[in-house]
Amino acid sequence: MIRSLFVAMLFLTTLFAHADYSQAVKIKKIYPLGKKIYEKKCKELDLDGLSTQEELLQRINGSKCSKLSSKYKEALTLYLWEQKLHNHTPHYKALKVTKEQKCPVCGMFLYKYPNWVSMIEYNNGKKYYFDGMKDLMKYYFENPNGVKQILTQAYYRQKTINAKDAYFVTGSDIYGPMGNEFIPLANKEAAKKFLIEHRGKKIIRFESITPEMVEALD
Amino acid sequence: MMLLIWLVMTLFFLSSSISYELTTKTEHMPDIILTQTKAGREGFVDEKIVDHILEIEGVSRAYAYIKAPYQFKEDISFTIFGVDPFEEIDDPFIAHLLERYNLESGSMLVSHDVKELMKKAYYTKEFNFIRPDGSLKRVQIAKEFDTKNAPHYRWLIVMSKEDARDILGLAGSEATNIAIDVANKLETPLIAAKLKEYYPNAKVVTKKEQKLLYEQSFNFYSGTFLILFSITLLTFFIIIYDRLSGMSSEERREIGILKAIGWRIEDVLGAKFYEAFFIAVFSYIAGVSIAYLYVFYLKAPLLGNIFLHDAFLQTQQFSLAPHIEFFYLFLVFLLVVPLYFAAVIIPAWRVATLDADEVMR
Repeated sequence: MIRSLFVAMLFLTTLFAHADYSQAVKIKKIYPLGKKIYEKKCKELDLDGLSTQEELLQRINGSKCSKLSSKYKEALTLYLWEQKLHNHTPHYKALKVTKEQKCPVCGMFLYKYPNWVSMIEYNNGKKYYFDGMKDLMKYYFENPNGVKQILTQAYYRQKTINAKDAYFVTGSDIYGPMGNEFIPLANKEAAKKFLIEHRGKKIIRFESITPEMVEALD
Repeated sequence: MMLLIWLVMTLFFLSSSISYELTTKTEHMPDIILTQTKAGREGFVDEKIVDHILEIEGVSRAYAYIKAPYQFKEDISFTIFGVDPFEEIDDPFIAHLLERYNLESGSMLVSHDVKELMKKAYYTKEFNFIRPDGSLKRVQIAKEFDTKNAPHYRWLIVMSKEDARDILGLAGSEATNIAIDVANKLETPLIAAKLKEYYPNAKVVTKKEQKLLYEQSFNFYSGTFLILFSITLLTFFIIIYDRLSGMSSEERREIGILKAIGWRIEDVLGAKFYEAFFIAVFSYIAGVSIAYLYVFYLKAPLLGNIFLHDAFLQTQQFSLAPHIEFFYLFLVFLLVVPLYFAAVIIPAWRVATLDADEVMR
């Protein structure tokens, strides 16, 4: 019984066998490719009521997009299935600052350092933008209550991430506008790579940051 | 006077227009371009290494493309650009073409000039390319595009990578370049260094390095410009000096006669004033306009070679779009007009205040 189940599973996986792509290749190449194909050629595809990836592929084969090459179909399927329909990771908007905005802690103009902008949003709707996590933490320790969310930008990808999910590296050779910084990385692998390549000293999470650490970076 | 102004303004227009174009062009280049060398010569990259490059954390995008010349006649080569129509290309001109037109396998987008040339060879809807082994490959002409604003793409043909490979005799996944975009520009040198390590034979050029190269060659030719400019300035000052140091006997006679008739000093000066003013302003306007026409309409036939030297031209061809920096216009105006003015008025004043008899002698 178990053996037949096992064989059946094997069978099912071979029904839709495709090359295994790493996460990096998927995010950087496959999904954008699939997205472009979808938007340019297959917008009419009905995406409701799909329960498996194979069903999606069948629906693609039944539409006018069946004439695409297998490489394009694969990208389209992966994009639609994994990104459009089933990607539930929260997507944060890019942190934009105007030319007049200054960091509340150090008074520097934020528009000069777009890669470093970090933000605290409070429950009362107020948003404060800083030129790095160090200044943000200084302000945070003075006003720790009523925080709705803290967002910063991942170093490698320059995408907005939640500080609570981020991995910070200290003691590296990368300096922010305020000197030594907590460099935010989107995930552990990126943090490890960054630690090695930029001679960082520690990887810490948001909860472990203390005022003494912030002072030590100054 | 006019000649001088024209020369100076031509040089200024040329240099400002070219430097502006250089900066705007490099803005849209990919952050890193990777090409391969084999035995010291230009080789081909394998498209498969794109996946490996994407594993590098800081890389946000990487794609392979084919850019190669196709000899049509002895002196004309088309530029074949092989792309994937669904990939995001850095080059805004080609990206715009791909947005506008559908590129299918077996068809191509050609520039207006290419279309005309093909028409002359009796090819209107399609064209037969000759493969390296002598066989023919037929490709349909899907659409033609205008290259008025992008003269370096005068002979451009855009087609799919597979078609390009077929025509150029490239193997299964070969390409000529890999373009790499980096999200955080701070990481670019590190990623370039990593790429050089991964692919020892590769030529890795970052946007910054490319910009520097352009600037270097531009600065070299700017030297020639500076020499010419100094010479014109010198000539100008000689004219001024000449005027200042004294007036020709004719001028003295003229002023003397005017005074004898009964003109007052103020009137003589007034007349001289208008004369000088008119000459200066007229020659300024005329000089600037002729320089403008010369550079932007005639495209600077002879003088242009100072900058658009052959070696420099290899990398770029310039559309010389009118890009006027008012600073230059102002500078030349302030330099030329008041000086000339003074050079005319001062001796005139000196002469006019002398007695009429004395002057006539």
